[in-house]
Amino acid sequence: MVHLGQYIPRSSIIHCLDPRVKLAAAIVLSIVILKGDVLTQCWITAFLLILVPASRLNPGHIRAAFRPMLFFLGLLFFLHLLFTKGTPIPPFPPWRVTITYEGLYTGAFVIWQFLLLILSASILTMSTSPGELISGIERLLRPLKRLGVPSHDLAMMISMALRFVPTILDELEKIREAQTARGACFKTGPILRRMKATASLLIPLIQSIVRRADALAMAMESRGYNRGPRTYLRELRMGRKDYLALLIFACAMGMEVGGRYVLHHGWL
Amino acid sequence: MIQVENLSYTYDGEETPALNGITVEIPRGIHLGIIGPNGCGKTTFVRHLNGLLPTTRGDVRVEGMSIKKTSDLYRIRQLVGMVFQNPENQIVGMTVMEDVAFGPGNLRLPAEEIGRRVREALAQVGLESYGDKAPHALSNGEKQLVCIAGVLAMKPRYIILDEPTAYLDPSGRKMVLDVVQKLHARGITIVHITHHMDEIVGADRILVMDRGRIILSERPGVVFSNVALLKDVGLDVPEMTELMWRLQKMGNPVRTDVLTLEEACRELNACLSHAKPQSREG
Repeated sequence: MVHLGQYIPRSSIIHCLDPRVKLAAAIVLSIVILKGDVLTQCWITAFLLILVPASRLNPGHIRAAFRPMLFFLGLLFFLHLLFTKGTPIPPFPPWRVTITYEGLYTGAFVIWQFLLLILSASILTMSTSPGELISGIERLLRPLKRLGVPSHDLAMMISMALRFVPTILDELEKIREAQTARGACFKTGPILRRMKATASLLIPLIQSIVRRADALAMAMESRGYNRGPRTYLRELRMGRKDYLALLIFACAMGMEVGGRYVLHHGWL
Repeated sequence: MIQVENLSYTYDGEETPALNGITVEIPRGIHLGIIGPNGCGKTTFVRHLNGLLPTTRGDVRVEGMSIKKTSDLYRIRQLVGMVFQNPENQIVGMTVMEDVAFGPGNLRLPAEEIGRRVREALAQVGLESYGDKAPHALSNGEKQLVCIAGVLAMKPRYIILDEPTAYLDPSGRKMVLDVVQKLHARGITIVHITHHMDEIVGADRILVMDRGRIILSERPGVVFSNVALLKDVGLDVPEMTELMWRLQKMGNPVRTDVLTLEEACRELNACLSHAKPQSREG
């Protein structure tokens, strides 16, 4: 079962690209998606739909990425539908609420935007291993070191957070079993009692995480951490294909921006 | 050589010192066992050996470098590697390879050198094919081997093992102990804290600690024949030593400096065959 943002190992052109290229592209795409109009959305939809087979991902993966967001998207749509002012749609007289053409349009547009954002982020995370992604982030943040941003510490923190997700989930399961064995009930009963039962999970969990963090800090120090910049097993190097991909992406985005300019201002 | 001189340490907010005037020399190439009841200061002691705890009184010198000098601290931590109890709390990488690369990365080695050391270290603990695995997918024994590989990749001269088998099942324990034997045979100095006496019957020397002091520093045979002393501080002796000790207390003429099953077998056989002809004659 694939879940949102999971890395799908494949040998595609997109998988082979330098993570920095993919990260930069995802960031630019997000900005363009949020700033763009309908024409932009069409253009980016087409672009991303080419990227999906190029990354050797199948529709199943994409569906898995969208599924957990469906509720949120539905909610977003209804909020826009109900709270946008404008021309009412006539055939709903018995309803207390007025639904406007503008609401329908904005709702649909916002959902489209979000679907594109999720899709571009999913292509990024599905085609880039967490390790690569983190070294990409670290390299992109490195210039900010002069401003006092500790990029290697940040990268370390992100990677450790990811590394400890399964460990902490295991721990939670163990605590749940221990508390269930002592009569706690998490699935039935009045809501207040269930909330109290949840607290009996969280407090030991937090305690264990803090203790773990302490031991981990000791182990890291013992291995010579905390000395400032470090080196890595895989140093990122931009190859010819990476520059080419960057060029293609820049052209695609340039065409979008240029196209819109022509549309609004004419050729000259 | 690691020289510890009159080392004392008291934790913040406590009255009784955790360490009280420890003086000991750890020569290169030795396999040193450390035993003692819970809270006797074993862990506090070894955490001084690579400067994880600051010295307040006394001094620790690793190959002549004092742990008081912060500029030498990273060199000392490269020379003196430490493996802790719980392997889960030592692994920082998302894959085995990345984790083993953590130490060399902190030494700021170039990428090619890191790659070479990672491969070498994983081969030394027998996990060559595990490089791309997530730590979560390993058994506890394998995780502890990854931790040892992480230390080995820094090319240490000393490895300190602080109850490395406490969280492991019997097969994991065996994997770790085999690797420790191998590393010692390769000339790496081993300092090994344990509660399992049979893990260190093959050590060159054993320190017995109690209430922040070293109360005995001898060969395993001598240490474990002091059964009364060990029992007094709340320690067990190896099962075979205990057996001989009890037999002797029942009035049998057996030696008590026996550590392993083989030695016990030989000793009992000698005793019994000595007794046999007499009973036949009778």
